[in-house]
Amino acid sequence: MAEVVLENVEKRFGDVRAVAGIDLTIRDKEFVILVGPSGCGKTTTLRMIAGLEEVSGGDIKIAGRSVTHLPPRDRDIAMVFQSYALYPHMTVAKNMSFSLRLRGMPRDQVATRVRDVAAILGLSDHLDRKPRQLSGGQRQRVAVGAALCRQAGVLLFDEPLSNLDAKLRVHMRTELKRLHQSVQSTMVYVTHDQVEAMTMGDRIVIMNAGVICQVGTPLEVYDRPVSRFVAGFIGSPPMNFFEGELVPDGSGVALALPGDLRLSLPRPELASRAGRKVSFGIRPEHISVAQSGRPLSDLAWAAVASPARVPAVIEVVEPLGHRVVVTARGEAGTFQMETEIHAGVRQGDRVDLWFDMNRAYLFDGETEATL
Amino acid sequence: MLPAALYLALFIAYPFGMSIYLSLSDAQAGNQKWSYIGTANYSKVQSYDLLANDFVLGRFPSEAAARAFVSERPLLKVTTFPAPGGGHRATLTAPGRSIALLDMEKEEDATFAASTILQDTSWTVRQAGGKAEVVAHEKESAVTLGTFTTRKAVDLAATKLLVPAATRVDIHGTGVLQDPNFLLALKNTFKYTFGTEILKLLIGVPCALLLNRKFGGRRLLRGLVVIPWVIPIAISAQAWLWILDSTYSVINWCLVHWGVLTPQHIINFRGDKDLAMLSVIAVNVWRGFPFTTIIILAGLTAIPDEILERARLEGASAFQRFVHIISPMVRPILMVSLLFSVIFSFTDFNTIWIITKGGPFDQTQVLATYAYQLGVNAGYLGKGAATSLFMFPIMAVMVFFMLQFLRREA
Repeated sequence: MAEVVLENVEKRFGDVRAVAGIDLTIRDKEFVILVGPSGCGKTTTLRMIAGLEEVSGGDIKIAGRSVTHLPPRDRDIAMVFQSYALYPHMTVAKNMSFSLRLRGMPRDQVATRVRDVAAILGLSDHLDRKPRQLSGGQRQRVAVGAALCRQAGVLLFDEPLSNLDAKLRVHMRTELKRLHQSVQSTMVYVTHDQVEAMTMGDRIVIMNAGVICQVGTPLEVYDRPVSRFVAGFIGSPPMNFFEGELVPDGSGVALALPGDLRLSLPRPELASRAGRKVSFGIRPEHISVAQSGRPLSDLAWAAVASPARVPAVIEVVEPLGHRVVVTARGEAGTFQMETEIHAGVRQGDRVDLWFDMNRAYLFDGETEATL
Repeated sequence: MLPAALYLALFIAYPFGMSIYLSLSDAQAGNQKWSYIGTANYSKVQSYDLLANDFVLGRFPSEAAARAFVSERPLLKVTTFPAPGGGHRATLTAPGRSIALLDMEKEEDATFAASTILQDTSWTVRQAGGKAEVVAHEKESAVTLGTFTTRKAVDLAATKLLVPAATRVDIHGTGVLQDPNFLLALKNTFKYTFGTEILKLLIGVPCALLLNRKFGGRRLLRGLVVIPWVIPIAISAQAWLWILDSTYSVINWCLVHWGVLTPQHIINFRGDKDLAMLSVIAVNVWRGFPFTTIIILAGLTAIPDEILERARLEGASAFQRFVHIISPMVRPILMVSLLFSVIFSFTDFNTIWIITKGGPFDQTQVLATYAYQLGVNAGYLGKGAATSLFMFPIMAVMVFFMLQFLRREA
């Protein structure tokens, strides 16, 4: 059992509140991702759990025991650092076993443990090498191995994949996820990369400016973001936002966007809020594109219940492979959307953009909360 | 390429080649013509003196027997007769007793040496391996048993001493290797170098560790600590001259003021033969430790925070972090600093020349100052060059071992 509980945890650096009193429960054997932009307090939170950073206020419990004032070594944790933090003068085996040797574990037990962990990580052939003789991915694995050797209840990861090249990063993502299934430790993982967060975590904790914005499974935070910030942070390319106003539209309500654009909303419950300033958000994957004046050809989109047509001009086309990211300019502003590579859009084309209004989001203009 | 080659030829190869050429010639200030004399400046032996002392005249089963023999001394006479293998044998004889002392080529030499042993030495009894020995000891200087021109002859003569004794061969010659002052300077150079290096490490490492901690005014202190190294030694040594002055020393003044010393017993830092070496070492350490500190500080700063944090996380105490992580990671750069520092100290001229000029009685004379004394002040250019070139192979060996160590570490 290694449940991690943060109760009103706070960190102040002088007058700056890096972490402004957060509550979070990480369940035993859960893989939780702390994600957010630079300076949001995610790394500070992780370092407070590790004991590398003093807690300014609140309490941290690991496995039911308050560890707020315990030194790192007594917290039943292990950590993988962004730079790997391997001891350059020690071999891989020595690096992995350093903590065990410090604790005075008998030599043969240490050797067995190191051999087992090395086998899991595919490092068996490299145990006698020094870190500088290894590739980036191998060093990464040694760092993970050193953490695994301790058999701690909680494993902490501080942006462990950010120093790897793109291909290796995707590979290690899968490896770490598989590892989590086999080692049965609670894992807390910090990253600024929302793709890592979405792909790896059981639950995602989205932080901004020292507070937690939302905690949920990847699907929850994608489908039901609680605020404009979360909606904009999760998803790639990011959600498109436009500033507009709610206006009455018959019995329901419509959205007035700059350029005399009126989109009727399938949200009759918002009628009472007519006149409010709102942000309108739509994900790139929920916009479809057709040549100006022509109907939508995409069959999937034919089924969409309430499409809205927005005229625009294509500005940039970025092929990703089977999909292209298209940047278009309309009267309401600039859009990014995804379309199939064979859709045949070219720069300068006049097009109609079709918004799937069932998948559109509205955020309060002042509080930025989801409406 | 050409400018580089010219530069090398003119500013490096020429002075070095010139030194080698000088060391192989009889160059002397005032001489019109310098001629090649081979390695005579380095080593040229003129004679070997065989000296001996502490002659064991007899072994006796008991101390009483030995004392009885000593009391017989007035009865002993020197007798010299032709030896069985040629030459002449001198013996000490008394009624019922004959002690063969030595064999020598000439009869009068043998008699003279034997008489010296009999008459000018003091005889004592000492215990050795359960027996009592009578030892003849000459207090003033060892007894000269002859002067020879070849090593072989002196070794042969040593075998012809028929009683156990402490023998020694003194070599006289005109090369620097035969110059006792050169050997003293060589010894002093090592004393000076190792003395300073050990002290520099003992002071520099803790300083670096302190300056690596976070505290207010750390940057200022880091700047201040290099001052001794930045001030030209010609200036700072003047201050040290006053600090170490025999009459006006501020150290003496303080000690007298605090009542530790009386004015009659003030310390003569530069005049005392033991303190003089310590004084120049102190000045060199004062000047050199900032270099060690800064280099080690650079090494400490280069250790990523995450590595130390990981060590902390893995349960290493401050001491364990120092022993297992910090020391091994700083060691290569420490060796580099030591390498430079040893080169600076081994070839140091300024400090010693300003503080003591090699005195008193050559007690602080090192190779650099001695080469200058010999080559420039005394005008023996050839010998001066030979003396300074001696530093080259010694340094080469030291540097070789240090680089080997570095390579193994890396």
